Amino acid sequence: MKRKTIATVWLGGCSGCHMSLLDIDERILEVAKLADILKSPIVDGKEFPEVDVALVEGSVTSDEHQHELEVIRQKSKILISLGDCAVTSNVTSMRNQFNKEDVLNYAYKEAISNDGQGQMPGGPWPLLHLIEKVVPLHEVVKVDYFIPGCPPSADTIFYVLFELLNDRIPDLSAERKLKYG
Amino acid sequence: MAKIPINIDGTALEVEQGQTILEICQANGIEILTMCHMKGLGDVGACRLCLVEIEGINKLLPACTTKVAANQVIKTKTEKIKKYQKITTELLFAVCVSNGKCELQDLGYKVGMTHVRFPYLFPQCEVDTSHPWYVMDHNRCITCTRCVRVCSQVEGSYNWGVKNRGVSSRIISDFNTPWGESTTCTACSKCVHSCPTGAIWPKAIVQGQLTKSPQMIADLVERRKMNL
Repeated sequence: MKRKTIATVWLGGCSGCHMSLLDIDERILEVAKLADILKSPIVDGKEFPEVDVALVEGSVTSDEHQHELEVIRQKSKILISLGDCAVTSNVTSMRNQFNKEDVLNYAYKEAISNDGQGQMPGGPWPLLHLIEKVVPLHEVVKVDYFIPGCPPSADTIFYVLFELLNDRIPDLSAERKLKYG
Repeated sequence: MAKIPINIDGTALEVEQGQTILEICQANGIEILTMCHMKGLGDVGACRLCLVEIEGINKLLPACTTKVAANQVIKTKTEKIKKYQKITTELLFAVCVSNGKCELQDLGYKVGMTHVRFPYLFPQCEVDTSHPWYVMDHNRCITCTRCVRVCSQVEGSYNWGVKNRGVSSRIISDFNTPWGESTTCTACSKCVHSCPTGAIWPKAIVQGQLTKSPQMIADLVERRKMNL
């Protein structure tokens, strides 16, 4: 069997799903026998490469995420929404209840920790641009597989990855590995 | 009472007239998914999970509010029904941390739901903490109206009601006033136990520790029928 390639990506999330991924512990050696991890927050790589499987954590919160996700979609054979932020937009979408400008003002100007001295970063906007509403991945691109959970357990992540790397289609329901929250 | 012949999923049955399709299925061990139905309360067909196919009728009908009729040919497990059960479940899903103790989560596992295909609407929902003992979190409410029915049909208080239609539907206390100011609520906690999600919960209990006993309501209704 040809060696596979994997990428893991961290968009609008807390990195908890990546922590859970690392919790597969020594089973990462099983993964390493079958595939190379080409891009990940724990791998030094600049351009997003062509891969067989992309595990994407986090929701789409900004123009940068939107662009990244579109590139990931083009370059990945299988795109997986990893965790509740990617699947539902979860905690990151709590700001959807408010106006975007109000959210930015609150964070940069009005927050108590700024002691009334807070101001919006000036000059050419140095940050990524927040989009109006935070959305889950499948509202932006086609997603092939969903792993819900906040975070998904290491067992579930390993199960899905191992099945895909062995050219099998994972079934979370049949395996009783489907778990919310 | 007169017996009539019907057919469910290919099995011929002789059943008593006047019963609902859901009652017949439950009595005969035919599994039907339900959410707004609760033993002891009157049915309203709010959640649409118990939809069944009846030959000769080109729309799906809720088993809980449809009565059996002679020679009906009913199907409960077709691909069409499974498809609609999944859609209905996805549409009911809200964010809920009544984690592991939530009937809605159990339903998601049953239909194998991994994600919601419909865009989230992010409705503005309030949390009413005005009651001294209980909280009503509208973010987790699926408007199944079990609380409304238990309050009127079993407790007889008529505290809970429903305002508006469709996506704007909200459960209200009295005339849309804070629950804590209710003049009708007896603080009996029957709504707490009826609620299938974490929308109504007691302040004294940490989330995730919440165990509800909907069976208690059904037992109460049965006991009240006894002549002692």
